[in-house]
Amino acid sequence: MKGLLLKDLYMAAKYCRSFLFLVIVFLMLSLWENDNIFFTVYPTMIAGIIPMTLLSYDERNKWTLYSRTLPYSGAQLVTVKYLIGLMFGGLAYLVSLGATVVRMTINNYFSMEELLFLGTLLLVLGLIGPMLLLPFVFKYGTEKGRIIFYVMIGFLCAASVIANGLGLQTFIQIGNSWIWGIVVGAAVVLYLLSWRLSILFYQKREL
Amino acid sequence: MNALEIRNLTKSYTGFQLDHLNLTLPNGCILGLIGENGAGKSTTIKLILDMIRRDDGHITILGKDNRESIQLLKQDIGVVLDDVGIPECLTAAQVGKIMENTFTRWDNSVYAGYLKKFSLSVNKPFKEFSRGMKMKLGIAVALSHDPKLLILDEATSGLDPVIRDEIIDIFSEFTRDVHHSILISSHIVSDLEKICDYIAFLHKGKLLLCEEKDVLMEQYGLVQCSQAQLAQLDPNAIKGKKSSPYGVQALVLRNRIPRGWHISPVNIEELFIFMVKESE
Repeated sequence: MKGLLLKDLYMAAKYCRSFLFLVIVFLMLSLWENDNIFFTVYPTMIAGIIPMTLLSYDERNKWTLYSRTLPYSGAQLVTVKYLIGLMFGGLAYLVSLGATVVRMTINNYFSMEELLFLGTLLLVLGLIGPMLLLPFVFKYGTEKGRIIFYVMIGFLCAASVIANGLGLQTFIQIGNSWIWGIVVGAAVVLYLLSWRLSILFYQKREL
Repeated sequence: MNALEIRNLTKSYTGFQLDHLNLTLPNGCILGLIGENGAGKSTTIKLILDMIRRDDGHITILGKDNRESIQLLKQDIGVVLDDVGIPECLTAAQVGKIMENTFTRWDNSVYAGYLKKFSLSVNKPFKEFSRGMKMKLGIAVALSHDPKLLILDEATSGLDPVIRDEIIDIFSEFTRDVHHSILISSHIVSDLEKICDYIAFLHKGKLLLCEEKDVLMEQYGLVQCSQAQLAQLDPNAIKGKKSSPYGVQALVLRNRIPRGWHISPVNIEELFIFMVKESE
């Protein structure tokens, strides 16, 4: 699988440079923005969709078909995209948390609770993109998969509005660290389920 | 041992069926799969490589069931597809690194040799290559991991005659080793006629024939005559005919034609066209 990983890293280096630029700009902006966490979480979210970008290029370049003639299993072809997502998402996650610590230092305060909350939020938002999108992409291809993903995001936004209305955000923010643990655990389990589902879909898909 | 054996291979799609296909490719030989677009050539190749699920039948590659050990078998198979499939941003050097980590018997010196032979730039992105150069890079990759079987799907289509000739020479060279075999599909019959030992005609998912090329040339011939003269011949001798105001051109079995008739040689393309028209 090393060959597949190398191929995706070469492609990411070529096609995902703009992501790096965005990450730097957004994290710089986050240093001066105390009330809005958007600038902090956005880099992790966009890093999470790098696997989908690479899959789009794979389809366009007919690599999707060619890769099936190489000595790789369907599971390996799927797993490499999840690994790429974890590598880039993980990097953006650490850099974002680092930027938060820098912002706190600039403002002469440190809150472990805020850092934990942000760490949980970043992890969930970083995983949610590939977790939801990849199974659909592996089942239907990048074009149809993307449409289904947007529909899912619509449902999630609606669900979050309802959850806010029910006071769920306050419940999480008041410092129930066990809630954060459950959220992180659920995100990781769902990510693993998404990976297994993608393998199943990909093995059944005929190109 | 046969490099490839296909028995009763069946695959159905809406509006198309690959119908109980039987093919054998002996070791050290080249089998040309000829068929019009949509005849089932690519479907057959995808089934051989277990890229799609078959409905029925059995495939053996190098003596092993393809579904039981396809990942291992792919170490022994070099594949070149019509679209090649190498990502456009990659250079030949990067492709080499990827394949070095993909094939256990990848040989960098062999790969470098092919790049040099084909005058391919090592550091130029794939998208800047011409169609011929792209195909050559695909062939270099397919040949650099000591494959026993080459599977080529329309690998010469869209190329100019000079490059096609060069590529055909490389394939001929490859099969000098008796353990090397090639399955090549194309609708450019003239290319296959030059190099193939065996020819298979595929039409609308059905195998019209599979035979040694030299046997086909010996068995079949063309006669030019009038309708009345044709009527004198054994109907079983006539395998296809084309009528025009000037007479009839018929594809015949040479051994069933009485002495005294002039029988011209038939080429594979003519044979294919006659057989396709006769089957419709």
